[in-house]
Amino acid sequence: MTRPTHLARHRQAAVVGIHALPFSRNIGTTERHGGALAILGALADAGLSVRDVDGMFRYVWESTTEMEMARILGVPNLKMFGEIDYGGGAGAPTVGLAALAIESGLADVVVVWRSRNRSSGGRPWASQLQATGQDQFERPYGLVRPVDGMALHARYWIHKYGWTPEVTGRVAVTQRQHAQRNPAAMMRKPLSMDDYLGSRMIADPLRLFDCCLETDGAMAMVLTSAERARDLDVVPVHVTGFAMGSGPQMTAMTFYYGEELGRTPNRWVAPELWRNTGLAPRDIDVVQLYDAFTPQIPLAFEEYGFCGEGEAPAYMAEGRNPPYNTSGGGLSEAYVHGFNLLVEGVRQVRGSSTSQVENVRHCLVTSGNVVPTGAIVFSKEPW
Amino acid sequence: MTQGADDRSRAFPVPVPDADTQPFWDGCRGGELRIQRCASCGTWLWQPRPVCSSCQTPGPVWTAVSGDGFVASWTVMRPPTLPAFADRVPYVLLLVELDVGVRLIGYLVDGDGRWLRSDGAAEGVEIGRRVALRFHDQAGTPLPCWTLV
Repeated sequence: MTRPTHLARHRQAAVVGIHALPFSRNIGTTERHGGALAILGALADAGLSVRDVDGMFRYVWESTTEMEMARILGVPNLKMFGEIDYGGGAGAPTVGLAALAIESGLADVVVVWRSRNRSSGGRPWASQLQATGQDQFERPYGLVRPVDGMALHARYWIHKYGWTPEVTGRVAVTQRQHAQRNPAAMMRKPLSMDDYLGSRMIADPLRLFDCCLETDGAMAMVLTSAERARDLDVVPVHVTGFAMGSGPQMTAMTFYYGEELGRTPNRWVAPELWRNTGLAPRDIDVVQLYDAFTPQIPLAFEEYGFCGEGEAPAYMAEGRNPPYNTSGGGLSEAYVHGFNLLVEGVRQVRGSSTSQVENVRHCLVTSGNVVPTGAIVFSKEPW
Repeated sequence: MTQGADDRSRAFPVPVPDADTQPFWDGCRGGELRIQRCASCGTWLWQPRPVCSSCQTPGPVWTAVSGDGFVASWTVMRPPTLPAFADRVPYVLLLVELDVGVRLIGYLVDGDGRWLRSDGAAEGVEIGRRVALRFHDQAGTPLPCWTLV
């Protein structure tokens, strides 16, 4: 049998457009409106038009469906579309699906976006008083906030690895320093270790400055084939590979019922990512690690193999780690469900970050850590 | 805001059982903690499920357990939380690992199962501390909770 010609060549995907509306406490528009403007901005950045778009992917938690967005914008026909679930775990997998659509030849120009009025729209957990499914064993106890579940993980990591408060404090301080160089960042006031240590507890052992921001934000990204990217007036950012993973006994937004307390799904994603990309941690020049809460950063350095288990505090204190979350990340730039980390990853490979790392060849971006999740590597050069 | 709307906003979240979880809540009403155990391979299973995830045998058996275990992790709930808990903070939330090997969420309560306003310091809560099961009545729902022993 002859292989269909449209699948005959494995095509690499490249990010050719990014855009973000200004981050704010109250964007003053609907998520639909912000998302549409972000997508138009990303298409303009790429030098492409709505007529070129034939693929769309979104987070399940995105309130506007691909169909509604395609209809609003006037996309003539979507050849591939879909969505990825599980909150902040969806970021890298959503971009990964877009890359797969292009690699397979099923779509040529694919849009992904995240628009979320998480600040002005209120806290999603505040009104959910009927506890169904797995929530019936947690929510009646008041365990409703993301920070509560993370606190149970963080307490165990602190206990197991002997972390001092400075281990997570260093993350908050470092990312604030990055944000101070980023005019788009929401939190640019200086933050000292004393400020961190003196901040109030939200869910012990997590303090205020361990927690990400609450942001209204809208961001989008456009991908096409590396071949088509060469005809555009852009610096293409190549998708070298990505991976997804759930680990065993996943409970959607927490991982403390898992077989071994202390692990996260990243433990399962990481080996797949390195296998899929043919890369190793030593090849990575800069990282954007999912940061809804500070403890996720040292854990990610360990679980992705940048250092050994239990070694992250010394590894980071001695500055042996690659620069991380160079826009200020979810803690100090904006919290847009990790999409701002993906956009910053693209900027680092383009060379346009406000905390630009020199000679970036590969940037790793990871998504949520105690949820079903994924990771992706953006690269300067094609395969 | 009307008084009625205010009352609703200050209500506690309530468990909504389904056919897979009803035996658990029925057990709580009878003062019994039930966990599913596979009749074929003996694996203890949590959260409730229709099939053993170790050997795939359908119909794990609801089995009463003592509820004895230890603190696997814990946190202290502080503002901002749901309005129902606003005048109860701070309080300690436990992740308890039962001696049969599964982990459940519960409040830290006193020896009689009564509400305990606490940050855990006076009680000396720490990972590894032994705990015993108590049921705490919350607006008519008996919730499994634990006390330090």
